[in-house]
Amino acid sequence: MSWEVVLTAMLPEHLLLAGIIVLLALELGPRKPRGLLVVALVAVAAATTAALWLAFIGYAAAPFPGQYSVAPVASLGKAIVLALAVLVLLIARDESGQRAFPILLISSLYGVCLLLSSDSFLTLFLGLELMSLPVYALVLLAFRRPESAEAALKYLVLGGTATATLLMGVSLLYGGSGSLALSTFASALGSTDIMAKVAVVLVLVAFFLKAAIVPFHAWAPDAYEGAAVPVTAYMATIIKAGVLLAAVRLFGTVPVTRPMADLLAILPLVSIVWGNLAAMRQQSFRRMIAYSSIAHAGYLFYALLGEGPGRFQAVAFYVLAYGLMNVLAFASLPPNENDAARDRLDNLRGLFRREPFAALMIGIAMLSLAGIPPFPGFVAKFLIFKNVIAAGFTLYAVLGLVGSYLGIYFYLRVIQYLFMSTEETAATRGTPGRLALGASFICLLVVILLSVFPGWVIDRL
Amino acid sequence: MADAGRLNGVLFLPLAGIAAIVALPPRRDDLVRGLSLAVMLLQFALTAWLYARFDASVDGLQFETRLPWIAAWGVYYQIGLDGYNVLLVLLTAFLGPLVVAGAFTAIQKDVKLFYAMVFALQFAMLGTFLAQDLFVFYLFWETMLIPLFLIIGIWGGERRIYATLKFVLYTAFGSIVMLAAVIYLVYSLNATTGVTSFAFADLYKAELPLPVQTTLLAAFALSFAIKVPIVPLHTWLPDAHVEAPTAGSVILAGVLLKMGTYGFMKLAFPLFPDATRMLAPVFGTLAVVSILYGACLALVQTDIKKIIAYSSISHLGYVMLGLVSLDLLGIQGAVMQMVSHGVVAGGLFLMVGMIYERCHTRELAAYGGLAKILPVYSVFLAILTLAAIGLPTTSGFTGEFLVLLGAFKAAWPQYVLGSAYPLVLSTSAVAGVVLGALYMLWFAQRFLFGATKAPHLPLVDLNLREKAILASIVVAVFALGLFPDEPMKKTELAARQYQQLVAGNRTGTRVAAEPVLRDAPSPAAQASEGTR
Repeated sequence: MSWEVVLTAMLPEHLLLAGIIVLLALELGPRKPRGLLVVALVAVAAATTAALWLAFIGYAAAPFPGQYSVAPVASLGKAIVLALAVLVLLIARDESGQRAFPILLISSLYGVCLLLSSDSFLTLFLGLELMSLPVYALVLLAFRRPESAEAALKYLVLGGTATATLLMGVSLLYGGSGSLALSTFASALGSTDIMAKVAVVLVLVAFFLKAAIVPFHAWAPDAYEGAAVPVTAYMATIIKAGVLLAAVRLFGTVPVTRPMADLLAILPLVSIVWGNLAAMRQQSFRRMIAYSSIAHAGYLFYALLGEGPGRFQAVAFYVLAYGLMNVLAFASLPPNENDAARDRLDNLRGLFRREPFAALMIGIAMLSLAGIPPFPGFVAKFLIFKNVIAAGFTLYAVLGLVGSYLGIYFYLRVIQYLFMSTEETAATRGTPGRLALGASFICLLVVILLSVFPGWVIDRL
Repeated sequence: MADAGRLNGVLFLPLAGIAAIVALPPRRDDLVRGLSLAVMLLQFALTAWLYARFDASVDGLQFETRLPWIAAWGVYYQIGLDGYNVLLVLLTAFLGPLVVAGAFTAIQKDVKLFYAMVFALQFAMLGTFLAQDLFVFYLFWETMLIPLFLIIGIWGGERRIYATLKFVLYTAFGSIVMLAAVIYLVYSLNATTGVTSFAFADLYKAELPLPVQTTLLAAFALSFAIKVPIVPLHTWLPDAHVEAPTAGSVILAGVLLKMGTYGFMKLAFPLFPDATRMLAPVFGTLAVVSILYGACLALVQTDIKKIIAYSSISHLGYVMLGLVSLDLLGIQGAVMQMVSHGVVAGGLFLMVGMIYERCHTRELAAYGGLAKILPVYSVFLAILTLAAIGLPTTSGFTGEFLVLLGAFKAAWPQYVLGSAYPLVLSTSAVAGVVLGALYMLWFAQRFLFGATKAPHLPLVDLNLREKAILASIVVAVFALGLFPDEPMKKTELAARQYQQLVAGNRTGTRVAAEPVLRDAPSPAAQASEGTR
């Protein structure tokens, strides 16, 4: 282990750590700290650049062999997650008063980076916990409503359950193989040993819990609704991306066979159907997005049914497109007197006549989430279902597609509110901040890039 | 190649139109309207130029562009004109300026968004017709939904939300099933031949077992049949038509419904020929049911728009019948019928829009004797009515006549009720012609003649803009009716190719067989004899 390797390979992590230290130092200073958000932005943006650079030069090294390694694929995953985090920070103007917000957010990002480079279950566990713990606090931190305490508690308890399940599964894997390496999971996938099977199921359930797959989804709507808008965006994009990219790392390129494939397909399928059905009757924008994220987690786990390097490609493209859509929607959500008012779908009625740009952006986000071309959500979904059919799971692919059809209605309902309402029920207060507008524009540019040149992007994943 | 560049120009001009009208200063609606019309006219001029340059004796694509788009999947951005799409592209470009001009006074709300959506729709429709790659085709096919969803939903009538959601949810269901079939088809092509390609030309070569063909055909057919629409999947159409603004109805009837029949002709039937031959009697039966059912329902409607909506179902039934007859005359008739219906139904919906703007009701009972108070309007309506019935010398005649001729000779390998089945079907279709004359003439009689009656009096007759719109439609109606030779020559090779792909043997000798077939008397010539 040379220091040079440690410095280079973990550059994104180091930059995040530097950001945390600077933020803490500012916090200790005598005066009320200012510009915390700017420091956080700079740190995350620098980390993004570093990760992109590592991916671009194809850097591969293992500073801590057997525990932590970097390969271009891992760096690319980090770059996607970190870039999305930059956008989330841009829409967090209202949170700038909360001193702990940037520190917690960067700590969680550090966890995601660790997760995406983990080679053993020890590092994986460390990363997963480091990613989740700050988010429990973030949900609680943003509280302006009493009922949110319930949401945070639910999230914490179910998150703890996931941790316990994961540890149980890992210890069974260890018992069977005597190793904590991630590859034990992939070899247990095809094993007929009952202990290995139970271990795989337990680990899978932990991931299902973290990604909010039915029936382990109950925390998501409450937590999403209870948190502040940027925190919701963070949970919907970065946490989901981190968990799924980690799952891809866990599964490697080993094909999934029956009966494990059925488990991996049926619960996500139920998620797709249930998430889309439940989203239809929501009146809160964030609750709707929560159910939509449950459905999208289903598509993402479908990607694991596919084989080989296509898995990473499909998941990476999907989380990129999906994350952009969520950030775009949340960035364009017009400000209102409080979070609850901002969140009500009814308040979006007739938005096109007041804020045409915001309405168009939310509209694009909804259409893309629904998977309607020419927006990137379609190509992302196509990529996943193509891999699933190529792996021979035609029936699951057809059922998943029909399940995704169910979602079209509620996305269109938002568009109906935005464009087709003649009444204007509630006026918005103020205009979106310049930073949020900037985030919208960046999202829009990337969306156009992904729509017009999807092939170019796919080739680079 | 310069002409390939022009074809791309035709396709992307609507996007330039969107950019241009978005850049215009706010509250200058007149500028938006003028600019939109100019862009549409330019597009029509370009298309007409390409149509004139289109060489009828060349088999295959002309003005082709092929660029790698998603290289990893073998997806190419590939567009081009061939006998299948050349008339439909021309039809789309022809209706564009009329739609824009027809909405000058009717649309007063969110004018910019409206014309942007009309352009977006135009882009998606042209893209669907021009695409020669299944992925690109699907992309455009689905993209069409959004602008029409907004056009009906924002500028529609009272029940517009219901109508537009019903339209989108119906079509999207078909599309999603088709998407699964598309992926499976491409995957099977890869598994059997090792080629990863979405190009139509490659997919035609896929040799699939009959059960797979049947399943995939069912999936494609569901999507296309909803769009056509074929009874019993038609229930979205009357709602969408009635609630849509005039522009929406015109595009819907004029172009969008042809997407379905075009899809059958270009994709569903030639891709799965064995299954198509087996199921041809079933499709034929459904087509005749559509003809008769649509005609019967048109007979009893009290809303003018609904009469024309149901008549569309009936008229597209002929197209389907011609396509499944697998007879060259029938196929060419189907193509002519598509174009003719686009022009005539588009014109009729424009005329309904004009009277609606004046009186704000579409109830047939509210009108009567318009011939006396609106003489110019009545003359145009009478001409379009006769064209809809299919009177010789109008565009409707050629198509219907050839379709019926083809249906009599339908060469189906297996018969449901013995060899007489095509005869039964075509005889019933002839009954549909009679019914068609009945409901259209009865409508015209109640509308134009009898005691003078209108919600408001006095009524102003057509102004210059409206006259110009309708005059261009009438010119097209007679041009197609009197000189069917010209367009039929341009589509003949495609009709032959389609026939050979579906009815011929699979091992593709279509190019080699061409010179022999060319010596036979042209069916176009036979058709014009029939016209005389």
